[in-house]
Amino acid sequence: MSQFLKAIGLFAAAFVSSVAVLSLAAISDPLPPDTTYRPLPTRPFSAVKADDEAQKQQVMQRQASLLNRRYDMSDRPIAGVMMSGGRKAVPGGVRVKLQSGTTWENLAEMSPDEIRQRSLLPEGFLPLPHVKQATGGQVIPDRQIDDIRRQEARDLRRFDVNFDLPDHLTPEFPPPIFLTTQPHLGDVSRGQLLTIKNFYEVMNGIITPVQMEGLRLLLTPFPQEEFNQTEDRKVAEQSTGITCLDCHANFHTNAAFHLTPDVRPQAARFRLDSTSLRGVFNQQIHGSKRSLRSIEDFTEFEQRTAYFNGDHVSATRKGVHLPDRTNQVAMMAQMQNIIDFPPAPKLDAFGRLDRARATEQELAGEQVFFGKGRCNECHVAQTSFMDNNMHDLKLERFYQVGHTFNDFVTLPDGPIKTFTLRGIKDSPPYLHDGRLMTLADTVEFFNLVLGLRLTQPEKEALVAYMLAL
Amino acid sequence: MRSLAQGLAVATLFASPAFAQIGNPAGTEPDTRQSAPGIPAPHQTNAQDQLFAQQAVIGGMAEVALGKLADRKAHNRAVAEFAGVMIQDHGKANEKLASLAGSARIPLPNEPDAEHKAVHARLERLSGAQFDVAYLEAQVQDHQKTAQLLQWEINSGQDAQLQRFASETLPIVLRHLRMAQDLASQIAGQTPRELAPATTGMGHQDQPRRTR
Ligand code: HEC
Ligand code: HEC
Repeated sequence: MSQFLKAIGLFAAAFVSSVAVLSLAAISDPLPPDTTYRPLPTRPFSAVKADDEAQKQQVMQRQASLLNRRYDMSDRPIAGVMMSGGRKAVPGGVRVKLQSGTTWENLAEMSPDEIRQRSLLPEGFLPLPHVKQATGGQVIPDRQIDDIRRQEARDLRRFDVNFDLPDHLTPEFPPPIFLTTQPHLGDVSRGQLLTIKNFYEVMNGIITPVQMEGLRLLLTPFPQEEFNQTEDRKVAEQSTGITCLDCHANFHTNAAFHLTPDVRPQAARFRLDSTSLRGVFNQQIHGSKRSLRSIEDFTEFEQRTAYFNGDHVSATRKGVHLPDRTNQVAMMAQMQNIIDFPPAPKLDAFGRLDRARATEQELAGEQVFFGKGRCNECHVAQTSFMDNNMHDLKLERFYQVGHTFNDFVTLPDGPIKTFTLRGIKDSPPYLHDGRLMTLADTVEFFNLVLGLRLTQPEKEALVAYMLAL
Repeated sequence: MRSLAQGLAVATLFASPAFAQIGNPAGTEPDTRQSAPGIPAPHQTNAQDQLFAQQAVIGGMAEVALGKLADRKAHNRAVAEFAGVMIQDHGKANEKLASLAGSARIPLPNEPDAEHKAVHARLERLSGAQFDVAYLEAQVQDHQKTAQLLQWEINSGQDAQLQRFASETLPIVLRHLRMAQDLASQIAGQTPRELAPATTGMGHQDQPRRTR
């Protein structure tokens, strides 16, 4: 230590003696290269794999402990409410746990400053960490992994992490498929997961040749960051890769997650819950942050930059797929553009409830949505309950930024795209990172963030209303 | 004025309990001794830890040196107070870092880098309100860089203690950054950034920001 103090003295002296008058731009050192770029592994694959496997139990335990501290993860569905395919019940109840000594009511009475200064924000409202932040990458739920292994003998199981949410808090699997071009047919999935093996049999006679070719490409595996043939992979065998619909299962979502491509360094990259591709035909901006302006751009880029790593350099090394804009991208886009929302029999052409069909509680919920809750100012009914805009909800008013949870640094979200609420009961968990498990959680979240002071009956009515959308 | 110790107490209130950092073993140094399979033994560093410690100490010592300069030359009292916070917080952080680096046998530089020398020399030549503006501008830039550097260590390092140091220091550095930004906007007569109302304009009334 005394040596260190001496060093400080020298350090200060060095300042005094410096008379150099230099231009700052010329000598300012950049941050280390791998703050932006992905580093190459320093060790052989087998050694990395052995360590990863040794760590796995601790990784999963650490994540489970965070999830259980933040949420009630139990299997408690809403009685009598199923997702659109009728295969899974919709999870219910507020799952975010309060800090001790608070209630939802007294929290809503406090100012953001007070909540921040007394650290009273429920931890479940904070951004949700990836199961293994330092590695990140795509994590696929077990049902998808099992079905792909059965149908294609392709392995999507990582040796370093497992999917971290229980099945009952994820969308039904496989999800139904509704087409804008065949509304009279209803669900055309036959209860199967679309794969490269079965798509032709399932879809022939229902879609066009162009759409069929698009579908084939969306189901074709291409190597990327975690699923590839190099030493920098997280699957045991050299992998032929992953497909678009491995996450957007049947064009909906299976709650597979990943890290945002749009942020560096790695510790600050927030988790992304796969979005549904239903109704994507009505969306003008794509991605929670990237705001890409067309489905074609999104499709092309998703593959170009290794599916969500925002890293074309690393992608190139592992083998990228550069789909031809007119012959392939357009077809992939056209296939995605015929995927409809699930039917909402209680909504009219304006997206308003049909008074003859809706319940009293749903109608009351609609009133809150358009009135006291002001939800419709961003989730505009007439445009599929979104506004094709991004908004900054400024959640950081309520907590101190920069704390680390499971190696993930919680920082402000900044502007995020308004997601559609059509068919919303089908796609838990909620928000861009899946930090909220139920619709009741989203109501408490917006009640606090927007300072609405809703009553308990108003909150319940809002949930009932959203189940009808 | 908030000391580093107080800052850390607040930090632990909201920090995740007990669990250690778990890095990507693809970035572990090949000669690392392990305390359990997959877990580097204490003070086993990789290149990232070493570079982090060196960069952070340069930044930290420069904060103290520039703080002393500002303490002497600041025009606005609030800027002098801010400089006092920098001297105190970074002084303590530097000692902690030096002892962690010592345990891990990472050699530390004893001279500032060219960048910080140039900033110091430039500030020496300024005075009055001009000094305040330039000092705060330099502080904003330095804290921006430091925030990224700390985040980098949190995921890329392998020395658990250095990583914990980075985790604990980051909220404080971000608070300093905001203080510097708020002060700079105050001097320029602008509304501080942090408490601007949400885009919806709904809900709470914010109290005006206190200057710490
Ligand atoms: C790891 C799982 C995963 C894979 C594989 C994947 N996606 Fe996605 N997809 C996501 C996630 C997560 C988002 C949300 C991205 C965001 O918020 O920035 C998304 C968003 C999208 C969107 C934008 C939706 C919107 O309007 O915001 C489109 C379109 C899309 N994906 C198409 C594709 C295509 C085409 C492929 C194949 C090239 C693909 N995805 C592969 C997970 C995946
Ligand atoms: C200022 C604009 C705005 C208002 C007002 C607003 N929302 Fe949102 N909503 C958003 C944005 C932006 C997101 C995405 C946030 C994120 O992912 O971090 C979102 C997401 C959601 C989601 C999750 C969607 C998904 O797919 O995960 C639900 C549910 C929701 N809002 C319900 C509501 C309700 C109910 C209200 C009224 C009480 C409301 N919103 C008011 C902008 C708004």
